[in-house]
Amino acid sequence: MRETPLSNCERQFLLKAIEEKKRLDGRQTYDYRNIKITFGTDYGCCIVDLGKTRVLAQVSCELVAPKENRPTEGILFLSLELSPMASPIFEAGRQSELLVKLNRLLERCLRNSKCIDTESLCVVSGEKVWQIRVDVHVLNHEGNLMDAASIAAIAGLCHFRRPDVGIQGDEVTVYGPEERDPVPLSIYHMPICVSFAFFLEGTYLLVDPSEREERVMDGLLVIAMNKHREICSIQSSGGIMLLKDQVLRCSKIASVKVSEITDLINRALENDRKARKEGGKFGFAELMAVQRITALKSDEVSIEMSDGDAGAPSVAITTESPPEVGRVPSPVVRAPGAGQVGESLENAWGLEQLEEEEDQPGDEVMDEGLEIKEENQRQEKSKGEVVVISDSEEEEVVILNPKTQVKESTLHASQSQPQSTGAAKKKKKQQKKKPVH
Amino acid sequence: MAGLELLSDQGYRLDGRKPSELRKVQARMGVFAQADGSAYIEQGNTKALAVVYGPHEVRGSRSKTLHDRAVINCQYSMATFSTAERKRRPHGDRKSSEMSLHLKQTFEAAVLTQLYPRSQIDIYVKILQSDGGNYSACVNAATLAVIDAGIPMRDYVCACSAGFVEDTPLADLCHAEESGGGTSLALALLPRSGQIALLQMDARLHQDHLDTLIEAAMTACKGLSDVLDSVVRQHLQEVSVLTRD
Amino acid sequence: MRSRLATTMEVDGLSAFSLREFGCEQNLLSRPDGSSSFVQGDTSVLAGVYGPAEVKISKEIYDRATMEVVIQPKVGLPGVKERAREQCVRETCEAALLSTLHPRSSLSLVLQVVHDDGSLLSCCLNAACMALMDAGLPMGCLFCGVTCAIDPEGHIVTDPTAQQEKDSRAVMTFAIDSAQHRVMMSSTKGSFSVNELQQCIAVSQRASEKIFQFYRESVRRRYSKTV
Repeated sequence: MRETPLSNCERQFLLKAIEEKKRLDGRQTYDYRNIKITFGTDYGCCIVDLGKTRVLAQVSCELVAPKENRPTEGILFLSLELSPMASPIFEAGRQSELLVKLNRLLERCLRNSKCIDTESLCVVSGEKVWQIRVDVHVLNHEGNLMDAASIAAIAGLCHFRRPDVGIQGDEVTVYGPEERDPVPLSIYHMPICVSFAFFLEGTYLLVDPSEREERVMDGLLVIAMNKHREICSIQSSGGIMLLKDQVLRCSKIASVKVSEITDLINRALENDRKARKEGGKFGFAELMAVQRITALKSDEVSIEMSDGDAGAPSVAITTESPPEVGRVPSPVVRAPGAGQVGESLENAWGLEQLEEEEDQPGDEVMDEGLEIKEENQRQEKSKGEVVVISDSEEEEVVILNPKTQVKESTLHASQSQPQSTGAAKKKKKQQKKKPVH
Repeated sequence: MAGLELLSDQGYRLDGRKPSELRKVQARMGVFAQADGSAYIEQGNTKALAVVYGPHEVRGSRSKTLHDRAVINCQYSMATFSTAERKRRPHGDRKSSEMSLHLKQTFEAAVLTQLYPRSQIDIYVKILQSDGGNYSACVNAATLAVIDAGIPMRDYVCACSAGFVEDTPLADLCHAEESGGGTSLALALLPRSGQIALLQMDARLHQDHLDTLIEAAMTACKGLSDVLDSVVRQHLQEVSVLTRD
Repeated sequence: MRSRLATTMEVDGLSAFSLREFGCEQNLLSRPDGSSSFVQGDTSVLAGVYGPAEVKISKEIYDRATMEVVIQPKVGLPGVKERAREQCVRETCEAALLSTLHPRSSLSLVLQVVHDDGSLLSCCLNAACMALMDAGLPMGCLFCGVTCAIDPEGHIVTDPTAQQEKDSRAVMTFAIDSAQHRVMMSSTKGSFSVNELQQCIAVSQRASEKIFQFYRESVRRRYSKTV
């Protein structure tokens, strides 16, 4: 769908408010929206809510052959998808600029900064390594997709457990989750992106822009940092002109925010670990907010089958015999080795009437014989038998077009005949040449 | 990385340069006759070729036309023979798309697009030999090509890459230094006003070193802008000699 | 508020059937016109609806709305299985919606699989119905999805988990409408007899009553506090 354009008065209102240091949702300049991190039932599944922006990340693993130039390292594969439900402008399968930008940023933030130890993912050097695949789906776009995606990806990676592998000499055994507990990935550090939006030629900046603010911004500066105050990636986009001290100021703000967010992720991981250990329920089902009136949950329900009306046997009885809808054509099965030209069993060219008029009395004997066979065939068909086309001479049932056969005997050979039974056995008859009208 | 010292004890880099020394820059403008503007630049072993067409009518979809300024369309590609291993997909993959976006963004900020409403300016850049500093070579070549085409800009756009090893910033990285896993920063600067058009950094760097790193990159860019300026003036002299009677 | 439904079981010679614990939340995403999240045991599907909205001229139909369904799996790109499920969901929705009320418009339904633990297609159908309700699109009837599996001994299991589906001989999903409890769509996998099919349909019809009851309760709860 086309994007609804932002009206001028809305744009002016937003910019004016930013000039007066006010934001639409009442936040301060450097405030983040509420971040909520929830984990799913299986390891590596994580949903992050940044205000109303919602992102789902899933981490999975697979044994593959390593890259040629890095035989002892595992592979980290990142893929971000903009789901069409996130915004009316996103279309499934379309490679837009935003998608490229987000994917590259995520790759640089996670892969180039070497946040996970890829050497530990090696199983057999040069032959088999683990490929860790992170799929991030954007479910709702209310601004600042980059931050939400990076939080979801790193939380998913921290939460993920890969199957344990045992190596005895040349044999490699991959243990299932029932046999041995899965092993967590070794993560060096947690890089998190912080986005800064610039407005009015770089004079004002805001942290964590919402969707409306993103529409009116001049450009974006994304700084990925970890808790140890190491910058993992910086990217400026949107054609803004920055000054050096602006960049330094942003990096200071980012370090504060990143430490807060890292604490939040660690707390969420801890809660999930406790819930799993104590055997309590975990997963998305549990975390549905049952206090809201838009949510409802029910316990396990049993279905009563005691009523006679809806009982299965009665249903079966009433619908046992299929209704007579007339002659249902029986399925035609071709015996192996037989072919057929044309699809229909009966000739529908309307030449039968012509032929019947031209029938010679001399043919009637044969016609009768054929007609009797026709009737037999029809009766057999109505019983629902499968008609088999083959070219074996013994079977008598294989006359598919008795009328066509009659025609052949009465028409000129030069006339093109609808040969629908190319492989059907043709009964040889006396050819009687007749003038054709 | 053991065995590959990016900075020796005496303060020399792998190719014998000092930490703040740039590679040799050679450039030529007006290499293509049929294009509106073109330029070729060599930064050490990195060779880039840029071609500019425009401003002209918006080709393709009319919906991209902007009513008050020109649309800048950039395409970045690498020749298949530019890297040590043959490059399978010269353009269309994610990295090239990202580079094209960055180039577009850089030039949208620098070119005075308000002077050409409802038109389009095409910038095509190709890397012929890649030895580190791809983005910087592209931006420098494109700047010269835009000047050659006669399109007005706010200022020269100079770009340079910088790295960080053992508390010392290195300017203008070569391929070995970039892929060594250390920090690499690419910066596009408008020298006279000191405004940064594009800032891109990979790999881990402690926050305290950010200041020195950006400073080193900015100094390198300013040095490059002097070189580019001299190239432009020289080209102008040659052309005016040729056109003079 | 958790609703407690009748849990008395009466076994009449057929095995006792039960549906897993299910829950639903509506209007949880701000951008789509209607959204819902349906959870059956551990299977969870998120649905978002946009519509009626502008349609591409190449896809417009002069007298009705154009319906599009996209199912996104959690890992990897959508493949043939997702396309088959999309087809099933789309045909059910088109049969239930009064699409002639919105000619030359588009209705897009996007389903995201959040966790798959069996009965995925029926969970998709339920989430789709709730999302369409949330969006306020005019429907002739509601629909729900019920999955039955026949295990190798011949017992029918409703709402099977992924493990039960894997061990079963046949898996069937039916979409049942709310007006006359008839089958709108059926999707089956595996081999089974006609008798077993009839039994499963009967069981699904009974199970659908429970699900429609749940729909009613959740909508009643939602609009219990209207201004």
